[in-house]
Amino acid sequence: MTETIHNAQPNIYKPAIMKIVGRHDEAPGVRTMRLEFQNPADHEQFKKTFRTGMFGLYGVYGEGESTFCVASPETRKEYIECTFRQSGRVTSALANADIGDLVTFRGPYGNRFPIEEFHGKNLLFISGGIALPPTRSVIWSCLDQREKFGKVTIVYGARTVADLVYKHELDEWQERADVDLVLTVDPGGESPDWKYRVGFVPTVLEEAAPSPDNCIAVICGPPIMIKFTLISLKKLGFDEKNVYTTLENRMKCGVGKCGRCNVGSVYVCKEGPVFTAEEVSRMPAADL
Amino acid sequence: MTRILFSDKLDNCVAKWRSAGLTVIGPVQGESLSSYATVERGTDLHLGLVLPDRSLKELFFPQTEPMLRYTIKKNEIETADFTAPSAPRIIFGARPCDASGLAIDDPLFGWDYKDEYWFQRRKESVIVTIACTKADDFCMCTSLKLAPDSTKGADVLLRPLDKNRGWLVEELTERGREAFVIISEYLQEGSETALPTVEVPEKFNLDACVTWLQNPENFDSKFWKEISMRCIGCASCTYLCPTCHCFDIQDEGDTYSGIRRKNWDSCSFALFTMHTSGHNPRSTQSARWRQRIMHKFNYFPGKFSVNSCSGCGRCSRQCPVDMGITETLQEISKL
Repeated sequence: MTETIHNAQPNIYKPAIMKIVGRHDEAPGVRTMRLEFQNPADHEQFKKTFRTGMFGLYGVYGEGESTFCVASPETRKEYIECTFRQSGRVTSALANADIGDLVTFRGPYGNRFPIEEFHGKNLLFISGGIALPPTRSVIWSCLDQREKFGKVTIVYGARTVADLVYKHELDEWQERADVDLVLTVDPGGESPDWKYRVGFVPTVLEEAAPSPDNCIAVICGPPIMIKFTLISLKKLGFDEKNVYTTLENRMKCGVGKCGRCNVGSVYVCKEGPVFTAEEVSRMPAADL
Repeated sequence: MTRILFSDKLDNCVAKWRSAGLTVIGPVQGESLSSYATVERGTDLHLGLVLPDRSLKELFFPQTEPMLRYTIKKNEIETADFTAPSAPRIIFGARPCDASGLAIDDPLFGWDYKDEYWFQRRKESVIVTIACTKADDFCMCTSLKLAPDSTKGADVLLRPLDKNRGWLVEELTERGREAFVIISEYLQEGSETALPTVEVPEKFNLDACVTWLQNPENFDSKFWKEISMRCIGCASCTYLCPTCHCFDIQDEGDTYSGIRRKNWDSCSFALFTMHTSGHNPRSTQSARWRQRIMHKFNYFPGKFSVNSCSGCGRCSRQCPVDMGITETLQEISKL
């Protein structure tokens, strides 16, 4: 994948200032925020560079920065949406921030899903739990130009019904005739009124048995889900070259200097976070 | 005929450079550790050290460095950049391994995104190295295909004369020439012969080690567990290393005002790679030591065509449990 060369800036570690313009609670401890750029130059730069799959460092001064994906699609660049689970110092500070408050964003960094290469193909999105946000950026990037793609199938699962994120969008996708949504929760995670599937994502995927013909698969999830889903995709006949995933390693700089995100020789922040399953299979498994 | 700088003129040179606005830095014995530090007189320089305990890296990439100051008022964030202090300086008496270390890290700090904290200091520093006429058991530059008189990263190379009388001057760059124009009145023409550089025996076969490291099968070798069994993960090796560049970014302050800092970090620490979920890609000390060796001799050269090691030997010299790059690569040479 080709890399973008960025011009040198005086301070590459200085983030853009963002205003929180929207908040939505997705699941227990999981929140989506919509952010708007305060400096038009920062916004212009974002519009020029952002493509689906890229990530950013979101921060609160005094607390620090955390790395997560841009959850909004490349077809909607007026704002940035991010979805995060409140778990540490930075995410707690972000969760405590209110509409109108200012936070920071550094990015977008990394490579992207090459969605032009997906034109004319069927798309299979597989996601688990809190990993729907990166997938959702690709999903909307494709649904916003729906005519360019073939059949769209989304397989999404979470531990419990409460843990499903973007519930309002799941309803929307459920109702769309041009999207096939397969929802599941882990055994024991269903509620009395749950009318969809019960089972782990890889099992449900095998039951749904999407055809690998002319199909691109995008999978995001916890390492254990990815591991078993890759096995299921192989069983279904998917070529590793047509399966994409995104790695989310711990990062501090985001620009290939701080040294912590590498998996083998790969700098996830610069050569990733988007990789094909074939690329991932060449990485040392013990380092993932 | 060569130009010579006699030792008895060093004090004059330091004074002259200082009056020309240059900060003069060189090896100095501190209370516990020796390091490169600012001096006021030539006699403050400890040029007899094999090499300072602390590497030259910290003058370009400090242990902790303020990057910006933030002030938060009601619905307003103000930030002020800290730029690397603009202070032209001359580093006198750097060891060739330390100067090489800087050149090794240049591509890392410059790929795509340019880290100006590093490059501003690089631009403002004249590096005068002195060829080594003594070494200790830990020195290993020759094993890294460098030499006691390597010119990599240096602007001027000095070759010692006998009886500490002075040095032959070899100007290597325009920047070096300019710095020596300032002190030209103290230089003499002469036809002296410099002392031979020290013989540093080769400690391991680098090519054989690299071949072994590049073989994916060896990633999971039990060798890694055995060699790193006694590593206590203290990070001394990474902190003293002239090429280790890993860092953390931390805020120091409160909700209203403070400083965002870049601090040294180390791949030796478990928290270095720990995910929020608790999953840790490098959860054992052996995985972390493997990362350090692989990064220096396999991954880094793969990206930047140069080993991330200049053979100073500090990792072994200062290790509290007597392990280091030399010991590891020597063992790999035997495999």
